[in-house]
Amino acid sequence: MTRDRLDRTSTAVPWPRLLAGVDAVQRRVRRAGIHGQLVSLVVVVALFALGTGGRYLAWPNVRVILSLAAIPTIIAVGMHPVVVLGGMDLSVEGVVALCVVFVGLLTRNNMNQNDVGLWIVPVTLGIGGAAGLVSGTCNAKLRIPSFIVTLGMSWVLWGLAVFVSQGQTLALLDTRFHPVVTGSVGGIPNLALLAVALTIAVQVLQDRSQLGRYLYAIGGDEVLARQAGVPVDRVKIIVFTTAGLLYGLSALLLSTRLGGAQAITGNNLLFPAVTAVAVGGVALTGGIGGAKNAALGALIVTALNDGLILMHVNPYAQDAVNGAVLVVAVALTIDRKKLGFIK
Amino acid sequence: MSADPRPAPVLEVQGVRKSYPGVVALDGVDLAVYPNEILGLVGENGAGKSTLMKILVGLIQPGAGSLLVQGARVDLVDPAHAIRHGIGMVFQDGSMVPNLSVMENLFLCHEGGFRRLGLLSRRAMRERAARLLEEVNVRIDVETAIAEVSPAVRQMVELSRLLWLSTLYGQANPVLILDEPTTVLNEAERATLFRILGSVKRRASIIFISHRLQEIVEVSDRIVILKDGKNVTELEAASARVEDIEQLMVGHAFSADRYREEEQAPPGPEEVLQVEGLRKRGAFDTISFAVRSGEIVALVGLVGSGKEEICKCIAGLGRPDAGRVRIAGRELAPGSPSHAVASGQGYVPIDRRSEGLALNLSVAKNVNLLVLERLRRGGLVHPGREKANASRWMQECRIKAPSPGTACGTLSGGNQQKAVMAKWLSSDVKLLVLDHPTRGVDVGAKDDIYRLVRKLAHDGIGMIVMCDTLEEDIGLSHRLMVLKDGRLVGEVPCPPGKKPGPGDVIGMVV
Repeated sequence: MTRDRLDRTSTAVPWPRLLAGVDAVQRRVRRAGIHGQLVSLVVVVALFALGTGGRYLAWPNVRVILSLAAIPTIIAVGMHPVVVLGGMDLSVEGVVALCVVFVGLLTRNNMNQNDVGLWIVPVTLGIGGAAGLVSGTCNAKLRIPSFIVTLGMSWVLWGLAVFVSQGQTLALLDTRFHPVVTGSVGGIPNLALLAVALTIAVQVLQDRSQLGRYLYAIGGDEVLARQAGVPVDRVKIIVFTTAGLLYGLSALLLSTRLGGAQAITGNNLLFPAVTAVAVGGVALTGGIGGAKNAALGALIVTALNDGLILMHVNPYAQDAVNGAVLVVAVALTIDRKKLGFIK
Repeated sequence: MSADPRPAPVLEVQGVRKSYPGVVALDGVDLAVYPNEILGLVGENGAGKSTLMKILVGLIQPGAGSLLVQGARVDLVDPAHAIRHGIGMVFQDGSMVPNLSVMENLFLCHEGGFRRLGLLSRRAMRERAARLLEEVNVRIDVETAIAEVSPAVRQMVELSRLLWLSTLYGQANPVLILDEPTTVLNEAERATLFRILGSVKRRASIIFISHRLQEIVEVSDRIVILKDGKNVTELEAASARVEDIEQLMVGHAFSADRYREEEQAPPGPEEVLQVEGLRKRGAFDTISFAVRSGEIVALVGLVGSGKEEICKCIAGLGRPDAGRVRIAGRELAPGSPSHAVASGQGYVPIDRRSEGLALNLSVAKNVNLLVLERLRRGGLVHPGREKANASRWMQECRIKAPSPGTACGTLSGGNQQKAVMAKWLSSDVKLLVLDHPTRGVDVGAKDDIYRLVRKLAHDGIGMIVMCDTLEEDIGLSHRLMVLKDGRLVGEVPCPPGKKPGPGDVIGMVV
């Protein structure tokens, strides 16, 4: 009946006591920054260490976790600033698909005579960045919700990727990158080192640059930020572009590691990344959480899935666990006061 | 002219006008602010104070007239632009980004000076912030998030930011606007604020807005009174008396027939609303009262008097700490708006655009929202009945819309308000809470709304009203309940033909 009134009032929320409890937990998680995430990580690790009789903590498995966590980390670090703005970026799968296909078509391969050599690095990052630039511009200037812009973008690029590659898998014949991507320094996978370096770089920018201040100001209250003189549109476009850039980097790393390029390489990247961002404590309502959160989130999600595999949990049950983790993480991090409606 | 002791004004407003569809908010306002003075600005709700202030900081562009800063004309586009000219405002509800720290808010968008080797130096920012806040007597960890500090501190941070920015832009005498700064402060904080304003005055001019007239008289050097979008009078604070200001604020003209006073009938015998021992900490003290059928009771009081919260608790939109609310003898579940509606209570909100109407739905759908059960045939809503019911109420309430299928969003404010009232009128409502029923409505539509209010009363519906002006409260109601600081301080009967003047009541309110 009077829906317009019911939804607006905090008092009409069902189970007020439960929500008050959740609220208290939220406040604690928020103040600690990454404290809650560290605790979750320790709990996950402890559970699986016990469950597998210590095998989980053996160095080979830890190495696997670090190496597997690297690419979700890079993607999550790219995606989370969009979430901090209060938006959502769903374009990763399409962007990666297109970038991977171009890596295949432009470096030495088994289908054509192209070979741009090392130029493939700026080219791939450029394609990813361009996709982000378009998404960001549509969002900021045409004022289309980021959720829709990036979802549309993902499908457009996915279609383009399949069309350009004619649905085929290209073998990469230029193997110069391969050892760099799969190698390690002092036992730690190069990919993990790269992910950590990126995380630190982005975190420093968030803490210590004007762009970082603007990012959190917009996430906190876009109207007030604009009034204070924050160049809101420019910041949004930069954020989406950086996200695209990092998706492009992930595409380059993925295809090199696989030694082949096909559009479906991009599949199944979105869900882990969104889960990582949420689990890391980046609030979907914006303004809270940084690169360290995104990276920790990716590590937790990867450690969880690795443990489930190691314990031979049914793969479908694994999916269910991941879905539940996402919902719980969001429930703990969103700021309900900011939302008029829950849609 | 050399005899004029006043220096040249730092800020001048000349003939500023601003109108919205159907309403004239500002009707040629002139205002001058001189160096190192505190200018008190007073006026009733809707007198145009906030509109004027928003124009001064570039949030709204004036329809006509001009702003002069140090004698030069400026067109301000937004607050960030206004502060470059040395005009800044401390907003009533705060304009600090909640998730950023005190220090980050202080320097937001002006961090350039803290860059060391390309990165911002947190230490330099921290030291500077601490020093700036020292000037306004605030000692606090500057890395605390703004959301966690008290309103008093938040205000000081805003003030401090404005002062710092003015220095940064080389403004020797900035104009700082404080919009009702004292409503969120306690006694001690208020005294501190006034002391700080006294020292800030040495390097700035201040426009001080408050509903508390005593405060205005004490703090300001000069007082300007706005009424109906015009500045009526200017007083020297030293010689001003609160009573004089009150009279000037509300004016003397009072026309009885404007509120269809002759249609005011005595209320019926039964009590449709009974409030017993209602209490909510921090909002209002224990209050008990009743509203009889066909009776119109006006709740009168300033912002913070508790009248809004009382209405919210009655409507189930707020949860009281204690007390009972009965509608026609039936006790309401506290904090449940749906139960209040089911028991026969209607609520016409102040912001009909976001609360009262589904704007993208048609007039018919909105009007029929509460009576769909009656319009059913064979389990489904019957389109013919739906249209017939809507047309009837549209006619009854004089809603000017091309057809019942017109979307409510395209109607004027007055017609939207009539649609909200038609919605309640068509259902079996026993008590109606009208929160500023004529806000943003033009004169013609106002009369239609007064007519509807009288009709509702005639049909035996009890009403609680909170109006835009005291005059409207008196004109419409049978009885005033005057609230102050959360307590009922008096009741004033308003029988037709023997209504008190606004001037008789204002003293109780302020």
